[in-house]
Amino acid sequence: MKVVNSAHAGTLESSDAYIQINPINEDIVEIELESSVEELYGEMIEELIRETLKQMEVSHVHVKIQDKGALDLVLKARLQAAVLRACQLSRNPDWSLL
Amino acid sequence: MESSIEFSQFNSTNVRRVRRVKEFLKKNQLELSTDIELFVVGKEDDNIIACGGVAGKVLKSIAVAKERRGEGIILKLMTELLNAAYNNNQNELFLFSTPNNIEFFRDCGFHLIEECDGEVMLMENSKNLQNYQKKLTKLKKDGDVIGSIVMNANPFTLGHRYLVEEASKRSDWLHLFVVREDASEFKFADRIELIKKGTSHLKNVTIHEGSDYIISKATFPTYFIKDKGMINELHAKLDLNIFRNQLAPYLGITHRFVGTEPYCKVTNNYNQNMKKILADKQSKFQPIEVVEIPRIEFENQAISASRVRKLLQEKNYEELKSIVPPSTYEFLIKNRTLSL
Amino acid sequence: MKLRRSMLFVPGSNTAMVCNAYVYKPDTVMFDLEDSVALAEKDSARLMVYHALKHFVYKDIETAVRVNPLDSPYGHLDLEAVVTAGVDIVRLPKTDSVEDVLAMQEAIEKIEKKTGRTKKTLLLAAIESAQGVVNAVDIARCTPRLMGIALGAEDYVRDLRTQRTRAGHELSAARSQILIAARAAKIQAFDSVFSDVRDKEGFIEEVKKIKNLGFDGKSLVNPNQIYLLHHIYAPSQEEIEWALEVVEAAEYAKRNGLGVVSIDGRMVDAPVVARAEFTLKLAKISGFMGEDDE
Repeated sequence: MKVVNSAHAGTLESSDAYIQINPINEDIVEIELESSVEELYGEMIEELIRETLKQMEVSHVHVKIQDKGALDLVLKARLQAAVLRACQLSRNPDWSLL
Repeated sequence: MESSIEFSQFNSTNVRRVRRVKEFLKKNQLELSTDIELFVVGKEDDNIIACGGVAGKVLKSIAVAKERRGEGIILKLMTELLNAAYNNNQNELFLFSTPNNIEFFRDCGFHLIEECDGEVMLMENSKNLQNYQKKLTKLKKDGDVIGSIVMNANPFTLGHRYLVEEASKRSDWLHLFVVREDASEFKFADRIELIKKGTSHLKNVTIHEGSDYIISKATFPTYFIKDKGMINELHAKLDLNIFRNQLAPYLGITHRFVGTEPYCKVTNNYNQNMKKILADKQSKFQPIEVVEIPRIEFENQAISASRVRKLLQEKNYEELKSIVPPSTYEFLIKNRTLSL
Repeated sequence: MKLRRSMLFVPGSNTAMVCNAYVYKPDTVMFDLEDSVALAEKDSARLMVYHALKHFVYKDIETAVRVNPLDSPYGHLDLEAVVTAGVDIVRLPKTDSVEDVLAMQEAIEKIEKKTGRTKKTLLLAAIESAQGVVNAVDIARCTPRLMGIALGAEDYVRDLRTQRTRAGHELSAARSQILIAARAAKIQAFDSVFSDVRDKEGFIEEVKKIKNLGFDGKSLVNPNQIYLLHHIYAPSQEEIEWALEVVEAAEYAKRNGLGVVSIDGRMVDAPVVARAEFTLKLAKISGFMGEDDE
């Protein structure tokens, strides 16, 4: 999937995450994470982000996450929502990639 | 459903709704900032209980009704504000507020840049400052005297040139910051071009495009400051603290040069304040010495940008020629048909 | 038949609720993608519900999703997501006719086939208009996938061109007709939400009323309501004692090869026995039976 625009998803409320995605030129995934549990789970969260993006075949992005204690399922959901918005996919996404 | 608060967005042309926001803010002892382009309002049963506005990169007039604080409404409001700003292509945001709100906004992803006197603080929600500081570090030059000037130059006159030349003579290196704010008659792109042309003969000068971290009067919000008489002082302090603590160290700045201000009381006050603030021993950062350079005169009058603009209006090109460098004069003549 | 007293409504865009609803142990968790989710958040909520449905905390609790109507830009996408994720029940909003149900069924069948899902997704039709009430019997009978019909009071009352009141008389006709239609078709009937979470007495009154009418359960908007509702739905001491008698009599008849179950010389037929067994099951779940009662 190709990320064309900037997009965001989520909220700043407790248990949620606010995620912004911006396309970049380099073929990498840049992650900017701000989390209340950064010390304990920062690495795991980053790993989850990378894995999820890999599964969606997404690269060339800068991802900024403001984590307010979100579970994996929430991080995934918000990240995928932001990616789909940034790709402007109006047709049905391939649920096997999500 | 647990929350029946509905959020809506509208822009400043919606006069009726803006008025309701103004009333709400008044009830909470705040003013409406007049430069807000986009409003976000949280209502419950048609009563406003929260509001905020976006003015370019700055979030302003953020308030939650006194009786509804502590419910986390600020988080919902801030989410809506961020969404509104991002949809408007503003990704990196700032906000000013009173220091007692620092924790709330930290919860929303903002971090503190500077606070001052327990009265006002500035926060941002990106790594913008960090990145900027990294850039500055790359431009650092060695020397005992590293000078600096912050200049608007609306437009660049012989007076400006004299200041830069003097500063350049007295420094091992000179960093010149051009204020970006396009509130002036002359656009930023033109102003900086004229500065570059007018100083091209100097070999130890770096010209910096002004950043978000030079707080102009226009950006500095006043709507939450109770004592209006304090506004200028607070603005000066905040702006100068940022200069001294967050910018100057990365370039190793030791001196700041300003022209004397014989006419404008406000600017003169600012200069005197500047001396105090930049030399204040309480800061852990290196003090910066402020050097006032007397303005040069033409026919017993100090050369100023306002004089230039006046002469332009009067179409007095003879006198104009005597107070601006050739490069500026060329520009003015070329563009005289444009309404300024 | 599965116990479905409490159906907890969870807006799909409310992260905290989506993550925590299972903790409150309602009989069914109903994730909403329709009216409680803002248009700008439909896509994000859909993904959140998709992932929640697949999450292990929702493995052992019955899940339902209220999808958007098929003729909206969101309906088909909702369906694809939730059926793929394995939701137990799909709730159709604003069901006016048999066609609405069959169209939904067809759409679901296609997805089940595509994903190779073997367990049939059930349907719950929400009736929210006068037209829907008029067609309630046909709707209730139109497909074996339909496990129940529910009343959506807000929209229904608007369709009637009146307002909701605390006493709820404006709903009595709809409630009766929906209940009757459900029973005729031998499926379950569910009542609408009581939205004033601060009015505890009002809620209790309403639950007692709809329980007496015969409703199997009710939609809830607040976890606090679950406990209250389960309490009211619990059988009384007399009901439990009577049920124990009936079940005992049935076992006696079985043990002795008798054709007929009787208590005090009176015949007790099969539906009554079934009812008694259900009562005991309900009593157990409500925590009303100690070991010596069994």
